[in-house]
Amino acid sequence: MRLDFVKIFVDSTAVLFRELIGPAVDVPSISMKPSPVAGREVMAIIGLAGEAHGRVIFDMDLFTAVQLAGHMMGEPSPGMTPLVRSSIAELASMAIGRAISKINDGGMRLRMSPPTVITGANLVSYDQCFETLVAPIATAYGEVRVNITIQDLD
Amino acid sequence: MLDVKETLVKSPLTCLIVDDSAFMRFHLRRMMDSFDNVIASEAANGNEALREYGRLRPDIVLMDIVMPGMEGVETVKKICSEDPKARVIMISSVSYQEKVAEAMSAGAKCFLPKPVTTEELRRAIQSVLTPTTDN
Repeated sequence: MRLDFVKIFVDSTAVLFRELIGPAVDVPSISMKPSPVAGREVMAIIGLAGEAHGRVIFDMDLFTAVQLAGHMMGEPSPGMTPLVRSSIAELASMAIGRAISKINDGGMRLRMSPPTVITGANLVSYDQCFETLVAPIATAYGEVRVNITIQDLD
Repeated sequence: MLDVKETLVKSPLTCLIVDDSAFMRFHLRRMMDSFDNVIASEAANGNEALREYGRLRPDIVLMDIVMPGMEGVETVKKICSEDPKARVIMISSVSYQEKVAEAMSAGAKCFLPKPVTTEELRRAIQSVLTPTTDN
């Protein structure tokens, strides 16, 4: 696990959330898990490739996703519309894009995939074989968990 | 307010928004609509952008980088090889120095990291529309 990169991912995400959502954003604790804990109703997944590989999964409740998207759009949304899904994908993309930019300016070469958003009940991530760092980010609209797995190439 | 009186373009200002994200197209279109006398069109990927650019010849292009298929820098290269006077503003969440340099050498006139504010966008558009000795 590249913990140095993980810190950049978490910090970039928290700073971006503060910029977009407001100052009431906190990262109370970070923990290592044997696999991603993502299991809420909305997941945004971004793959990482290049000189290291891995993935970042943002997961949150449906309510949180709809409220976050409504804040970003500047108007409330009636539910999980395509525009809400796109807003959550863009939120994840901006956070990880910013982190990758910092890492690459430090001399590494990482690329990110376009985000994929999955919605539904009882979602489970099947990335069982990778240690994952889980950072819960508390926002005014509920918690967004950031599940980060990143390793050097063997 | 966006002032296009002293620029190279006729009024109204025409703009092509290129982003695979429906949210970003919605967001940028709303920003553009807040300026006076602007007509905005949209494309969701590089191939669509090439087709729409050829059809519309917009005054400015707002271009994302990370897109499925033909990504933004490659799309800018193709647009600028067709029209060296194209005015492209890159707007991307990926903004490391090498990528910015790559975008600018492909022909982009300006680079804005996401998230972009209305004021940043207004200033960027005015800067690419301002006549210079190169124009």
